[in-house]
Amino acid sequence: MTDAGSRDRPDEQEKAGLVPWLDARLPVVSAFRREYVDYRTPRNLNGLWNFGAILTVVLLVMLATGIFLAVNYTPTAAGAFASIEAIDRQLPSGWLLRSIHVTGASMFLAALYIHLFRGLYYGSYKAPREVLWLTGLVLLAMVMLTAFAGYVLPWGQMSYWGADVAGKAVDAIPGVGPWLEHFLQGGDAPGDVSLHRFFILHMVLAFAVLGVVGIHVAALHVTGSNNPLGIEPRGAGDTLPFHPYYTSKDALGLILFALLFAVVVFFLPDVVFEAENFRPANPLHTPADIEPEWYFLPFYGILQSVPSKFGGLLASVGAILVLFLVPWLDRSPIRSARFRPLYRACMGVLVVCFVLLGFVGRHHAQGGWMIAGRIAVVYYFAHFLVLLPLSARTERGIVLPDGIAGAGRRGA
Amino acid sequence: MTTTGPLETDNSATDSPASDSPATGKRRDFLTLLTLAAGGAGVAAFSWPFLDSLRPGDSGAARPPVDVDVSKLPPGQQITVVWHGSPVFITHRTPQALERLQQASLAARLRDPSSAALQQPPYAANWHRSIVPAYGVVVGICTHLGCVPTYSPAPDPTTPVANWPGGYACPCHGSKFDLAGRVFIGAPAPYNLPVPPYAMPTPTTIRIGANPPGTDFDFSSIQQI
Amino acid sequence: MRGGVILRFVALLGLAAPLCDMSRAAAQAGPHDRVPHQAWSFEGPLGRFDLSAVQRGYAVYAQVCSACHGMKSMTYGDLAATGLTMEQVGRIAATQQVPGGVDAQGDPVTRAATPADHFRDPFANPAAAAAANNGVAPPDQSRLALVYPGGPDRIYAVLTGYREPPAAYRPSHAGAVYNPYASGREIAMPPPLRDGQVVYTDGTPATTAQEARDVTTFLAWVAQPHLEARHRLGAQVVLYLLFLAVLAFLLKRRLWSDVH
Repeated sequence: MTDAGSRDRPDEQEKAGLVPWLDARLPVVSAFRREYVDYRTPRNLNGLWNFGAILTVVLLVMLATGIFLAVNYTPTAAGAFASIEAIDRQLPSGWLLRSIHVTGASMFLAALYIHLFRGLYYGSYKAPREVLWLTGLVLLAMVMLTAFAGYVLPWGQMSYWGADVAGKAVDAIPGVGPWLEHFLQGGDAPGDVSLHRFFILHMVLAFAVLGVVGIHVAALHVTGSNNPLGIEPRGAGDTLPFHPYYTSKDALGLILFALLFAVVVFFLPDVVFEAENFRPANPLHTPADIEPEWYFLPFYGILQSVPSKFGGLLASVGAILVLFLVPWLDRSPIRSARFRPLYRACMGVLVVCFVLLGFVGRHHAQGGWMIAGRIAVVYYFAHFLVLLPLSARTERGIVLPDGIAGAGRRGA
Repeated sequence: MTTTGPLETDNSATDSPASDSPATGKRRDFLTLLTLAAGGAGVAAFSWPFLDSLRPGDSGAARPPVDVDVSKLPPGQQITVVWHGSPVFITHRTPQALERLQQASLAARLRDPSSAALQQPPYAANWHRSIVPAYGVVVGICTHLGCVPTYSPAPDPTTPVANWPGGYACPCHGSKFDLAGRVFIGAPAPYNLPVPPYAMPTPTTIRIGANPPGTDFDFSSIQQI
Repeated sequence: MRGGVILRFVALLGLAAPLCDMSRAAAQAGPHDRVPHQAWSFEGPLGRFDLSAVQRGYAVYAQVCSACHGMKSMTYGDLAATGLTMEQVGRIAATQQVPGGVDAQGDPVTRAATPADHFRDPFANPAAAAAANNGVAPPDQSRLALVYPGGPDRIYAVLTGYREPPAAYRPSHAGAVYNPYASGREIAMPPPLRDGQVVYTDGTPATTAQEARDVTTFLAWVAQPHLEARHRLGAQVVLYLLFLAVLAFLLKRRLWSDVH
C-alpha cells in the first residue's frame, strides 16, 4: 500500500499512543467528538427536546433489566407465571428488576408520546427531516409490538386474554383472517406455541429497536436538530456545541425523569401493575374487564368506536399509518406551530381527542362513550387528512422571525 | 488554551465556558466534580441489583438427608442414589468380596490402601471404608475428571485388567477402584472415591447427609471430589 | 413552550386516569355493603409490616386456612423474612408433608418439607378442590390481598362479617352463606374463624377480630413481601435524586449563564 504516506506524520495534538492509534484505524473517538461534543445544536431548544436522550437511556435500562429477567424466566404456559413469581419473591433483587422493567415500559411509552407530540407540533417531520420522522414511526410500531409481546409473557389473566383479543382482531380480517390467526398463534388458542413466539419476538424486536435507533440518530445528525421556532440555524451564532450545553441540559432532564420513574417504582406500583394479571391465566374464565395497557387504550378506543370489527381494526392501525403520510399532507412551508395559529388549535383538539379515546377504550365504548369515541375518531382522521392540508391556506402572510438568535429572548 | 476540567471544549470563543475569570472557574470546577461524582456513584449503585440477582440461592439450608431402605438390596447388587446432585453408590458387598478386600496382595496394588488422604469421615477410615462392612457407600464420581465409574463386582482374570478383584472401572480414562472405593496404582485418578457423611438409624436404613450421633464430618473438608 | 405545557398537563391527566381504576374494580364485584376502612400499619408510602402480626397471621393460615387454600408461590424459606431464624423455618417446614417422588414400587410418597419447598397444596388439583367445596375451588392466596376487589379492608370485613342473614335471604346455591361484604352478599366459604380457634405462641388472646386482623396482615405481607425494602430503598433513591437534581440544575444554570 503506497498511500500510507499521509499517515506517517504524527498526530497534531501529540497525545500519547492508544487513542490516536485507535482513531487512525477506526475513528470512534473523533466520530464521538464530532457527533456528541462539537455537534452544533440550535441554542433555543426547550425541555421537549430532552426526550430523545431520555428514551435512549430508558431503552438501555429496559434491555439490561430484560436480559436479567429473561435469565430467570421460563417461556412455557405451565412455568411462566411461576417463574415470574419466583423472580418477584425469591430471586435476590428480583422484585426490583421486575418493577423497573414494568414501570419502564409505561415510562418509555409516555416519553415516546411526548417525543412524537414534539415532532408534530414543531414540524420536525418536514423537509429535510422526513426520513427521521419515518424511522421514528417505524420505531413507534416496533416498540408497540415489543410492549404487547412483553405483556403476554407473565401469562396472567390479562396476558392470556389480551393475546386472545389480539388474535380475534386478526381473525376479523376478511378472507385470510381466521387462517392468519391460526398460523400466527400456532394453534386454536393462545398457548405454549404462541407464548414461545411472543418471547422470541419480544427479545429480538427489543434489540432491533436499538439498531433502528442508531439509524434514527444518524438521520438526525445529517440534518441537525429542529428547534421551537422551526427556523434553520443560519450560522454559529444560532447554535451551541452539544457539550457542555445540551449534555448538562439532558442530564438535568434525565434526573428529573428518573425522579418520576423512582416515585412510581417505589411508591406507586399499583399505577403500572394490573391487579388482574396477578391471577394465572385461566382459559375457561374471562375476566370482567379485558383492556390493554394505558398506552394502547386510545387505539383500543378507536377499535371499539367503529361499528364493524374489521373497520375498527383498519381504523386503529390506520391511525398510526396516517402518521407516515404527514410530511406530504402538510405542505405548509412554516414548520413550527408557534407561528401557525389554526394548526396550534388543531393540535390541542387532537391531543384532547387522543386522551378522550383512551377513556373510551377504558369504558369499552358503552353508551355516551360510543358517541364521544366516534366524534373523536372522525376528528382524528380529519385532522390529518383534511385540516392539515388546508391549514397551509390560512398561513399566507405569516411573517417569520429573521433567525434564531434574532428571535431569542434577548437577541444576539 | 486554558484547561478547566473534563467539560472543556476547544471550539469557538464566543460560547466556550473557559473564558471566565479564574474565581468562577474554580467554583464551577467543584460543582462539576461534585455533580459528576454524585452521578457516577448513582450509576455504580444502579448496577447493584443486577449483580445481586446473580447470587446463587441459599443452598445450605435446603439440603435434607436422603433416607435409603436397603432391606431389599440383594448381596452383590448396587443402587445409585442422588445426593447434593451427585450419584452415591450403595453396594451390598458379599462376604467373599469383603474377604478379597482384606488381602495384602490387593493392598499392594492400591495407591492409598489405608485411606490416609482425607476422602472419608473418621468413622469410615477403616479397611472397608464404611460404618458396617456389608454396605459400601461412596460418591460415584471418579476423582480424575468426574465421570461416573461402572460397577464391576465380579473378579475376572483378564477384564477389565489382569487379575481384576472386583470393583469400579471408570470408562473415560481407565481409572480403577476396588469395592471399597480405593484407587489402584497406575490409574489417572489421584484419590480414593469419597465417602459422604452418612448414618444408619436402623440396620437396613442408610441416611446420606447426616452423621451418626456423636460424630461430626463436613463433606466440603475432603481432599477432592 | 406553550405546547410543552399543554402536553404536560394532558400527560398528567392521562397518568391520573389509572388511579381511578381501583374503585372501578371494586364496583364490578357484585353488590355488597360498603366496606369500612381499617388502619393498617402497611398503608401509605412509609408503610411497614408488624412482623409479630405477620407471624401470628401465618399461624392462622397454617391452622385454619391452609386446609382449603393453597399459597403456591410461597416457599417455606420465605418465612424467614418475617423475623424467624432459618432453624425455626426448617422446623416449621418439617411439620408439613409435601410430595416426595415415588417409592421403589412407583407409588407416590410424601416427605417432610424443607425451606426450599413451596407451600403444600391442600388439594391434588383444581377439580378436587372444587369437588370438595360445593363446586367452588377456594382461591389461591399468594396474591389475594392484591387481586381481591377491596383489598385488605374487604378481606377483614368478610372474615368478621358473618352474621344472621335477613329474613328474606335464600342461598343461591348449596353451601352458600350470607355475608354482607361478599360479592352478592353471599360467599361459598363457611365462617372460618371463631374465638380461640387458633393457638398463638406469643400469648395474644385469639379473638375472631384478632385472628382476622392477623391473617389479613399476613395475606398482605404474602402479596407484597418486599414492601418495606421497597419503601426504604425508595426513600433513599428519591432523596438522592433530589440532591442530584439540585446539583445538576445549578451546574446547568452556571454553564448556560453566558448564553441567555
